[in-house]
Amino acid sequence: MKKNHILVTIILFLVIFFLSIGSVNAEIINSEQIDKGDGYQINNYVMHLTSTIIMGEIYPGIDFYGLQSDGTNINLKEYVKTTKKTDGTMSIVFEKGTEKINIEVQNATSSYVIIDIQTTGITVEYKTPVDGGISNAKYIGEPNLILTKSVDKTSVDVGEVIRVTIKAKNTGNGVAKRINIDRGLTPDFTFKSDIYTSYPTELDVSNKETEMFIYEIQATKAGTFQLGPAIATYYSSVFDDEYTSKSESLTITVAEEPIETSEIKLSVSTDKTKLKRGDTVKFKVNVENLKDVTASNIRIEPIIPKNLTYVSGSEEIDIINEKPIIQVSSYGGYYKAEYLLTFKADQIGNDNLIVKWTYNNGVEEISDNTTSEMVFISQGDFDFLAQFPIYVYITPIIIILALAGWFYWRSRQFRI
Amino acid sequence: MLNVLIIGVGQCGNRILDAINKEAFGGGRFSKYYSSQKFASRVETIAINTAINDLKEMRNTKAKDRIHIPNLHGLGANRILGKKCFNDNKDLIMRNISERGDFDVAFVISSSSGGTGSSFSPPLVKELKEIYDFPVYSIMVLPFREEGTIYLQNSAFSIKEMRQSGSDGMILADNQYLKNAGSNIQSAYDGINKMIAERILFLLEALDSEMMLVTDLGDFKTVMSGGDGIATIGYAKGDAKTPIRTTIRESISPNGLLFSSNVYEEASRAMIILRGDQKYLSIDDISAEIDKLSSHIGHVFKGVIIRNGETPKVLSVLTLESTVELEKLYALAVEAIHIEKDKRKRVALQNETDTTFSMIDGLEPEY
Repeated sequence: MKKNHILVTIILFLVIFFLSIGSVNAEIINSEQIDKGDGYQINNYVMHLTSTIIMGEIYPGIDFYGLQSDGTNINLKEYVKTTKKTDGTMSIVFEKGTEKINIEVQNATSSYVIIDIQTTGITVEYKTPVDGGISNAKYIGEPNLILTKSVDKTSVDVGEVIRVTIKAKNTGNGVAKRINIDRGLTPDFTFKSDIYTSYPTELDVSNKETEMFIYEIQATKAGTFQLGPAIATYYSSVFDDEYTSKSESLTITVAEEPIETSEIKLSVSTDKTKLKRGDTVKFKVNVENLKDVTASNIRIEPIIPKNLTYVSGSEEIDIINEKPIIQVSSYGGYYKAEYLLTFKADQIGNDNLIVKWTYNNGVEEISDNTTSEMVFISQGDFDFLAQFPIYVYITPIIIILALAGWFYWRSRQFRI
Repeated sequence: MLNVLIIGVGQCGNRILDAINKEAFGGGRFSKYYSSQKFASRVETIAINTAINDLKEMRNTKAKDRIHIPNLHGLGANRILGKKCFNDNKDLIMRNISERGDFDVAFVISSSSGGTGSSFSPPLVKELKEIYDFPVYSIMVLPFREEGTIYLQNSAFSIKEMRQSGSDGMILADNQYLKNAGSNIQSAYDGINKMIAERILFLLEALDSEMMLVTDLGDFKTVMSGGDGIATIGYAKGDAKTPIRTTIRESISPNGLLFSSNVYEEASRAMIILRGDQKYLSIDDISAEIDKLSSHIGHVFKGVIIRNGETPKVLSVLTLESTVELEKLYALAVEAIHIEKDKRKRVALQNETDTTFSMIDGLEPEY
């Protein structure tokens, strides 16, 4: 009898062994201690330890539940309840389709039980003791990863390095497992280096984003490019389904490599800002090529203020259509020049000298202008004379002419 | 109104005539341009000269009143040439004078020593006297004694000829006597000319003005006909504090006269004209001083011209019976003539220059 018993045990062991080798759906959990009021969860199945008093003796009991989701709420479905038999044994077998969970109580006291758990036909993705038992059991459902891909700058020059950060957060209701991320590298950029790659392969449900990848790429050519989305593939804990999440694509603008051009700076100063009508004022035009690139077709044109008249200027100044204009074929790199223009104040008023200039900077025609300080023209020393009527001038002139004539006539009388 | 002719002959006469015209215009540099001449009478002035440059120097005499006698550039103080030149041109001169109208009196002003003046003025006076019946008085300016022997002998002959010309009187002014009038020779000449001009203008005014006590041309003729036909003029300017008697005495003192003379000893007749504000002209004082002078020299005419607000001025015209100073001048002139004669004789006898030149007679230059 004893030999038979040993044989049966060996055969059973072998059967279980081969079953476990032949199917990944079988798992054995041995000698798990569960205290009273606590439980143990395998996937969405929860074993909750209770106690029952029979004839003054306390018998531990195990309630077996299933966690189900109707899309909105998590519901408990009670499958099996059992207590320790009077003979001291206690076992529970749960079957649902091909899924089977067999619980053998190895030892039971009024405050805890030690059990062995064997599953069949179940891919155990989640197993854990649960303090508080059924009240703290957690529904294990579908994960949902939200991937974000961001860059530190979206407009760069050729050769500039962009840092890319990929983050993820699980907004589903199940753990995402075996996460694998494709960074979405694009051939328009050269991969430079990884900064951070040690991303977790599992992400629990959380509102917090987790950095998954940080790496740098370098712009190699000008244009507007799309950074491919990061794509994550992952699996749920319970159902082992495969999921895919994708980040947004990013647009990166890479500017043309700047072409070195000339740049002409021009300033205008004046020797005085307060003058009287009839005075002259000198404007000094300082021109400088700020770059080591030749500027060509330079034309500098002072706009003659309405109250001033051009009198003279530097010899480089041409008079074209009665306007002073400076025309120079080219200014070499860092060339400096100074031109003087003399104006006469004709009218009372305030004026600026506006100087326009155009040149070719090597790429395009550039136009600009600058304005001098304000020049204030006040009444001339003898302007008050103009306020008098004409007879005021004619009368003394006639008198002077008459006197001159008289003096001439008289002097002729006394001259031989 | 009197019609007065004043003729300035030669450089000296021209300058005095110009000074008279200038004073008549008011005396300012530019007065001629804005002022008319303030002669009391109708006065015609004529400047005559052989030197055009002397005529050009005149500033206050009109061009039409300047007659140039063409004779190269003056006469070089040669009176013989001068008299010939006058005779050659006297028609031109007399025609010019006749075109000026009728005159009541004429004055011919000249230097006694120069070329044109000393040689033209005596025959000019003679011509005037032959043609016209108005009195002609000459005003002759004697030279500085150190000016040279020619001037001295010219003066001697010129004065003599003037006396013989029929002149109604000769008023003398002596440069030698007046040379302290300026700080240098030029200013002395200018000062003398101005002094003579002031006196002549004063005299003309006295002859043709309404007066409190009247003197007129007749009185002047009477005075000038007295004595030896030689006269001089005195002048003095008083002030508010100086008694009029003092001013009268000052006018006949050496400081006031144009020619050195001891009036109380040498004068024959006199005419005293006073001008100024009536408050300065006390008739009693004037009469007392005139009476005093009369007691020494004989008849004295007096005239008073009232000018309100003007300080007193006194003009005295004195004819002289004798002049010591003129005698001295003639003595010097005689000496000068002898010196000149001796020089000519010596030159004629020695003829050293010809001897020197004769050393190369008969020789030719060799090259």
